[in-house]
Amino acid sequence: MKILSSTYQDTSIWRFFSSVRLAVFLLITLAITSIIGTVIPQGETLQFYLETFGPNFFRIIKALHLYDTYHSWWYLTLLGLFSINLIICTLRRLPFTLKLCRRDSLSLDSERLLKMPFKKDWETKKQLDNDSTQSIISAFKKVGGKFRERDGVDGGRLFLAERGKWSYWGVYALHGSILIIFIGALVGLFLGFKGSVMLPEGETIDYIVNRQTGKRISLGFSVRCNRFNIAFYDNGAPKEYRSDLTVLNDDKEVFHKSIVVNDPMKYKGITFYQASYRAIPEVTVQVSNSDNMQRSLTISAFQKTIWPEEQLSFSLIQYQPNVHGRPAAQIWIADNEGRAGNFWLLEGREREFKQSGNLYKMSLSTAKQRYLTGLQVKKDPGVWIVWLGCTVLIAGFSVVFWVPHRRLWLWIGRRKGRTFVILSGQTNKNKLQLEKDIKKIEEALNSNLGVGQ
Amino acid sequence: MTFSSSYLFGLTTFIYMGAAALYLIRWIFRVRKVGLLATFVTISGLVIQTVGIGLRWIESYQLGYGHAPLSNLYESLVFFSWITVLVYLIIEWQTRQRVIGAFTTPFASLSMAYASFSPNIEDKIQPLIPALKSNWLIAHVVTCFLGYASFAVACGLGIMYLFKNRYSGASGGLIGVMPDCKILDELIHQTIIFGFLWLSLGIITGAIWANDAWGTYWSWDPKETWSLITWFVYATALHARFVRGWTGRRIAYLSIIGFVSVLFTYFGVNFLLSGLHSYGSQ
Ligand code: HEM
Repeated sequence: MKILSSTYQDTSIWRFFSSVRLAVFLLITLAITSIIGTVIPQGETLQFYLETFGPNFFRIIKALHLYDTYHSWWYLTLLGLFSINLIICTLRRLPFTLKLCRRDSLSLDSERLLKMPFKKDWETKKQLDNDSTQSIISAFKKVGGKFRERDGVDGGRLFLAERGKWSYWGVYALHGSILIIFIGALVGLFLGFKGSVMLPEGETIDYIVNRQTGKRISLGFSVRCNRFNIAFYDNGAPKEYRSDLTVLNDDKEVFHKSIVVNDPMKYKGITFYQASYRAIPEVTVQVSNSDNMQRSLTISAFQKTIWPEEQLSFSLIQYQPNVHGRPAAQIWIADNEGRAGNFWLLEGREREFKQSGNLYKMSLSTAKQRYLTGLQVKKDPGVWIVWLGCTVLIAGFSVVFWVPHRRLWLWIGRRKGRTFVILSGQTNKNKLQLEKDIKKIEEALNSNLGVGQ
Repeated sequence: MTFSSSYLFGLTTFIYMGAAALYLIRWIFRVRKVGLLATFVTISGLVIQTVGIGLRWIESYQLGYGHAPLSNLYESLVFFSWITVLVYLIIEWQTRQRVIGAFTTPFASLSMAYASFSPNIEDKIQPLIPALKSNWLIAHVVTCFLGYASFAVACGLGIMYLFKNRYSGASGGLIGVMPDCKILDELIHQTIIFGFLWLSLGIITGAIWANDAWGTYWSWDPKETWSLITWFVYATALHARFVRGWTGRRIAYLSIIGFVSVLFTYFGVNFLLSGLHSYGSQ
């Protein structure tokens, strides 16, 4: 230990990184800088910040990544310093704790025991016989804890009842738990993903879109939304959003779950959450070409509908349920050479349009709502590590503050020609309990030693 | 319905205000008997409020909603004052220091008065929106508010400490009846430890819930971030004991700053910032 502390442990940089002073400084700095991201909206477009905050402030926001404060280089640096502080501080304290744990509690002399703040002693002229010694010891043992005994360094016999020595490791668990949580977060960051998908009722999808990068992520299986449902309370407030999902593997249905907010579907480490929904209109139209060949087409806003014979594609730009008392739809149309146009269609009124030199007729027959369910999709293999860290944090914290290291000594021997019995105790927390323990043994000893009280 | 939960909560508001007044009178005029009365009034307020909370729970079932009364700002204010009074009474019972009541029961009565009289606060029992329908709601709110209440008490103790420390020469008078600076310091430390444990549990249960509801246990939403800021402040207070020179006075200041941060987490985020926590926004 001597060698350790005089060589590299005492360099100033090592001392700096292991100081509680730095920890306090970092905690305060983190507290103050964390405010920034709650005041400035996060994750908006750069354009937004320029417009909201003006060019001067914008430059600061951009340089310091204040649009994503908690992932900015300087915030992560603070967290990194914090972790280093924690690790080095722990390493530096380790030898002291080990020394504390290895210290020999049975090498005390009776003089030391008599100087402890919690102590009680008895002296008798007569020698203690074996029976009363045994009953004194068994009364002492009743207090609990690890029991050891040895011949005293200054004669006599010393007994020790020790409890909670391990509690010195609580603070290591507590500090370690923070690192465990960080590790869990990193595992999730590098080995997991977060994405989302808008899935129309009745449709199947085998990929999702990464929320950060916008890239497609293949799921390795498919998910179908069978139905989406909203329920309302009598007062009109939403009561439940429910999506009925089926997982398919090579077109075989392998799993089924109806999910609501707070009750996601988990499949192969990937979790699907009910996050949002959208209702899109869908119209059915009748179209015919100049040869009077007729087709019925369903057109919606998020897909192209193709009329293969004519090589035309359609989509819905806008839907108005009430234009002069009737539904109306704005239809987008394109041919296979990319020429596109659009026009309005009013229910009950057939309309002609020209595309690629040909003349067509179209009329609107029905319009209805179709739901898309908005799913958050996530894979996070680190989440269990985070929960483990949280458990260790609470356990460690409880140990630090509520598990005392308590030692009780009993010394029986002869001093100055008399027989002495000394009872002393020490604890690093909960003095009240120690006093109670001592009181209990004291009473037992009083009756054993024939001291009337 | 005259004998309804809102009637009982109205009654509680006046009882707590009376209790706060009694504790102040007992502190300022040092009438010992008033102290006993103050405790009695506080306990009866707590009993009536407890019945009120139970009744409101039942009423929500009668309305067909069926949820614990912890689902909006009104209900959380009621719960905050309830748990603050509970934590205070435990401390009074353990320390026999009624002066502390003069600095803590006002928090409870202010919270009730705000809930009862503010025109901006909806006191009707509302159905739960889908995001709040979770078993974690109760665990999360109870743990958070145990933390908040402890920190309210710690803040009261911190204010007492600063008074006492400032006029440390005065052995008699208003300051003289306060507990010793050493005792106050120890009490602040103990309440912060207690609050810190509950705040940690509150943050953790919130994270578990968020992970169920939104798919991320941590999304840096303003309310989450502010609870973390609060956590940092109290972690500072716990470590400050190991830094030379950070004596009782700074800890007392930290207990006040920490509680300001609690208040901001509780109200400020709802009223001033936007975020995912729709909870308590109306
Ligand atoms: C937010 C993260 C942290 C939390 C929640 C935390 C929590 C705690 C708690 C509750 C204690 C016990 C205090 C007491 O006994 O009164 C403690 C002690 C301590 N902490 Fe931290 N801590 C954190 C970060 C750090 C860091 C970064 C350092 C780095 C220097 C550090 C160094 C210490 C030391 C040296 C002790 C005293 C250990 C002892 O009693 O022997 N802590 N910490």
